[in-house]
Amino acid sequence: MDYTNKEYYTNRELSWLKFNERVLSEARDAALPFFERMKFLSISSSNLDEFFMVRVASLKDMVNAKYTKPDLAGMTPEEQLKALSEAIHEFVKLQYATYQKMIQPQMKELGIHLIEHHEELSKSQAEYVDRYFENQVYPVLTPMAVDSSRPFPLIKNKSLNICALLDKKDSKKEETEFATVQVPSVLDRMVRIETKDSEGITLIRLEEVIERNISKLFLNYNVLGASPFRIMRNADLTIEEEEAEDLLKEIEKQIKKRQWGEVIRLEVEDGIDKRLLKILKKELHIATEDIYQIGGPLDLTFLMKMYSLEGFEEYKEKSFTPQPVPELPEGCSIFEEVKKQDILLHHPYQSFTPVVRFIEQAAADPDVLAIKQTLYRVSGNSPIVRALAQAAENGKQVSVLVELKARFDEENNIVWAKMLEKAGCHVIYGLVGLKTHSKITLVVRREEDGIRRYVHLGTGNYNDATAKLYTDLGLLTCSEAVGEDATAVFNMLSGYSEPLGWNKLSVAPLWLKKRLLTLIRRETEHARNKRVARIVAKMNSLCDPDVMAALYEASSAGVEVYLLVRGICCLRTGIKNVSENIHVYSIVGDYLEHSRIFYFENDLQPEIYLSSADWMPRNLERRVEIMFPIEAPQLKERVMQILDLQFRDNVKKRTLLPDGNYKIITDEDAPVNCQEIFRREVMQKTKQLKRDAAKKQRVFIPKTHIES
Amino acid sequence: MAVKTFAAIDVGSFELAMKIYEISSKSGMREIEHIRHRLALGADTYNTKKISPRKMDELCRVLREFAQIMKSYHVTDYKAYGTSAIRETENTTIVLDQIKNRTGLNIDVLSNSEQRFLDYKSVASQGAPFQKIIEKGTAIADIGGGNIQISLFDNDALVMTQNLKLGVLRLHERMLSMRPRPGQVDELLEEMIQSQLSVFKKLYIKDRQISNLIVVDDYVSGIIKTKVPSEGQEGLMQEEECLNFLDRISLMRTEERAEYLGIPEENVELFDISAHLIRNMVKLMEISYIWAPGVTLCDGIAYEYAEKNKRKFISHDFEKDILACARNISKRYMGSRKRSETMEQICLTIYDSMQKIHGMGKRERLLLQLSAILHDCGKFINMTNVGECSYYIIMNTEMIGLSHMEREIVAFVVRFNHDRFLYYDEIVTDSLLDRQTYLVIAKLAAILRLANSLDKSHKQKFKKIKGELDDRQLLITVEAGQDILLEQEMFKKVADFFEEVYSVRPVIEQRQMA
Repeated sequence: MDYTNKEYYTNRELSWLKFNERVLSEARDAALPFFERMKFLSISSSNLDEFFMVRVASLKDMVNAKYTKPDLAGMTPEEQLKALSEAIHEFVKLQYATYQKMIQPQMKELGIHLIEHHEELSKSQAEYVDRYFENQVYPVLTPMAVDSSRPFPLIKNKSLNICALLDKKDSKKEETEFATVQVPSVLDRMVRIETKDSEGITLIRLEEVIERNISKLFLNYNVLGASPFRIMRNADLTIEEEEAEDLLKEIEKQIKKRQWGEVIRLEVEDGIDKRLLKILKKELHIATEDIYQIGGPLDLTFLMKMYSLEGFEEYKEKSFTPQPVPELPEGCSIFEEVKKQDILLHHPYQSFTPVVRFIEQAAADPDVLAIKQTLYRVSGNSPIVRALAQAAENGKQVSVLVELKARFDEENNIVWAKMLEKAGCHVIYGLVGLKTHSKITLVVRREEDGIRRYVHLGTGNYNDATAKLYTDLGLLTCSEAVGEDATAVFNMLSGYSEPLGWNKLSVAPLWLKKRLLTLIRRETEHARNKRVARIVAKMNSLCDPDVMAALYEASSAGVEVYLLVRGICCLRTGIKNVSENIHVYSIVGDYLEHSRIFYFENDLQPEIYLSSADWMPRNLERRVEIMFPIEAPQLKERVMQILDLQFRDNVKKRTLLPDGNYKIITDEDAPVNCQEIFRREVMQKTKQLKRDAAKKQRVFIPKTHIES
Repeated sequence: MAVKTFAAIDVGSFELAMKIYEISSKSGMREIEHIRHRLALGADTYNTKKISPRKMDELCRVLREFAQIMKSYHVTDYKAYGTSAIRETENTTIVLDQIKNRTGLNIDVLSNSEQRFLDYKSVASQGAPFQKIIEKGTAIADIGGGNIQISLFDNDALVMTQNLKLGVLRLHERMLSMRPRPGQVDELLEEMIQSQLSVFKKLYIKDRQISNLIVVDDYVSGIIKTKVPSEGQEGLMQEEECLNFLDRISLMRTEERAEYLGIPEENVELFDISAHLIRNMVKLMEISYIWAPGVTLCDGIAYEYAEKNKRKFISHDFEKDILACARNISKRYMGSRKRSETMEQICLTIYDSMQKIHGMGKRERLLLQLSAILHDCGKFINMTNVGECSYYIIMNTEMIGLSHMEREIVAFVVRFNHDRFLYYDEIVTDSLLDRQTYLVIAKLAAILRLANSLDKSHKQKFKKIKGELDDRQLLITVEAGQDILLEQEMFKKVADFFEEVYSVRPVIEQRQMA
């Protein structure tokens, strides 16, 4: 049986777009609090930006290089671009329809007056805006004109600009000139108008303010027309690692170069002056199909800013504070607790603080000899980075692998790397040819009976900010077998030879994929031999050809396969004799589903693994990733419960239909929103703990008379 | 804390390795770190006799990192050994000094026999399973980068050991220099290996029954240990299963093999050479069981350290091996077993009765015993030049467990049994002996000479012998039924030398047998 038939697969880019549609559908869901809907619309917009910069750009590169090999679904890069262009145009239409038909009216109802066009300003409002322009905006503008002596300026990637068509005053020649000015990113995109006659909240976008006053920038000219525009450039860094003497410098160089990447998308407002569009098209070398004429404001990410408007609490999701981990009460020694048992952390429901405390305690503990950690994306002012630096200053051996190649975080990461080096840490700047995506921390501690190793392994980054928004799982353990493996991982990352064997961990790119395929095929064998076989897996994306073929084979052999894939899924369901036993779902909710959990039934002796890796070629073949088993019975039980509840969700869980579309199958009578339930459960648990703690306080405290 | 943290470093010919152990009397040796860095020093040394500056830099860099890692584990003691790649450089002393200066680490160079002894110890450190296996005729094949060492056991003691220049890396380099076509590789390897192994078989195996082969190497043993089904003991497999496995692998393509074995592609060729060696040995000795304990030199280094620090409970008697080995050498050169036993007995009697004077220990006693066993092995070659011939035989025959220096002591003691005794200034012209060692030679030689004189006729005339130290006199009482005129005459001659060395006059007294 040939499972590589292109009919069996969906193109990954189109599948990604389906995911972004699911994000957009959250914005269109009237059941959601209004501000959350604005947030989702904003996310769908920034998602699309990133998609252009990375995926569309790389397809363009392929076309430019005359690369014509079709993908799994049989589409050449050119065909993919064409299909994408059509689909994205449709998608953008839907985005703006959402903005105009759903967001705008609701804003008005709530008393938020967002003035879309400067022409609609009242007299007093106009005066306020002009004053604002003169005082705040004008000083930071840099208008640039184009003529024979001044070439077309560099337009920065993703920046918003206003272009204008000028006509020299007192000139008899009928000659127009082109000029452009960047809408300054140092100022807020939303300008609040505070005049006596305005009710509620009145806002206008900065570009409208500038457009209104544009003639003040070109005093010797008549402005014939002005319009905002925005471009997207090819941003996929190509780093010649083999030749790059110093990866750090090379990345700094490439980030500068990114400004100059090929323009792959131009957004302009509907109704832009034809002459202006013609100039832009020519100067930016852009094809008609890559121009998006937008019926609304460019770059919807300004909606995210609305979230910070005060008030409106009933239109926002109730704020939730991640709850303490019961096994790690405040003030405890993490080492002592982990020595008692393995501990599972479920973020963001449970707090990420124990992980930070784990490293902080290690940094301060005189018995700790060494701390080793991989850092992929860290938050600004990360407490983890601070603790690591502190540890180095305390004389511990601290090794940190900072992945400089974490996309769009390169600049950020360089700063950390340098700071850690200064503090005396041994910093490794990634590996040549591989991204280090694994999340692992190793603390070596000298105890009474010898060395003991404490290991934290996770599915999410060591980022205390995103740990409040992404669902992830983490494990704290001091199992000797895992400790040995963790040591081996860091030895490999430091350039030493691979270990002679692994105890528990499976590490990509060398072993993980093979292990995964073996696990899948074992289920296939079980099914063929009429034993109990089942695969339940949750991940962000699924597009590895070998893994998918193995899943099809498993399904054909009768293995029940349940997949929860948040983003891209190139696998198709419901194909006769191929994928009838495969069920694919996707949860898009308040929190970004980020954990990777793999369950293999193994004839009633189930095995559960967590991993940093998605089932994508880039994770399995071009990254350092780790898959680790959960073995303690109670923890296994808990992970199974977590998986189970997610599959029972009928509010945020969409089902992938055989036609490639996703659909929510609701049950109005018994709604299950897993993220909601997880939140409720941990809060109850905390309350319970507090009550228990109070019960233990059985000593009466007598009031005593105090002599004054 | 009863736990000691110890680091063992192996500067090998294709890899630098460090293992860190926690050693305690309570729980024995626990490996807590194993770190390896591939660096083919041997490729330089075997070709040019020198280490290139580039490799020297890398060596020092990695050793500095090792030192750093040791520090991070608060290692209290370490031992670093260089093996053949360092040993075979022309400028070993300069190399070691440079390493010391650039990394702060002291590297000692292991002679081949010392290295093999450590490898052997690493196997013996496995304890009970090892003792069980050597109950039957067993061979240990220790496959290194430069050389391989084959040792044979008889009745649970190691009786002989032989070094062959068939190391994996050496074969690899030699093969590359001949530029074979891909199709010729296997045949070429077989020829290179068989030419030496067949000689080995003729000389040493003869009709010995060898049923077990213990394999110590860096490529194959670790893999067959996990991939071939074990029988009873971990890593113990039937000959057929093991060879079938190796045959099956040899049919795969290089990438396939690397993938299947889980090793880097660059190691596949070395794996093959190792596999060829094992296959040939198994066939040559008609082996039925193969044991791959999966130990490394570092384990031996740590075991030795634990032994020295009396932290370990050694289950195997290594001294017995050495004696068995010496007896085997004596037999090979047609020595009389009876005479050897008499010599041993007389020597040890004198040694023990002189204890107060010479103050030497158990190890020197062993060396004396060896000298007695080998006291005239050279006569096999030339009966008039016994001293020198014996000296060369001993210097060129390995006895596992004996350091190079100890071997030289034995060789000199035996030589001075026959030849004129040389004084220190004379001896240092062609030997690196220090004064301390020289004095040991003198003391042992004096005893051996005395003993030799007491059995000059080779007739084992004395039934009982006793020594008694009385102030400046050593009274040796012998019971003999026969006339001992010859012995008495010889005794007088050597007594002067004995007195010169010990300031004690030996006197012989004969008692008639009751």
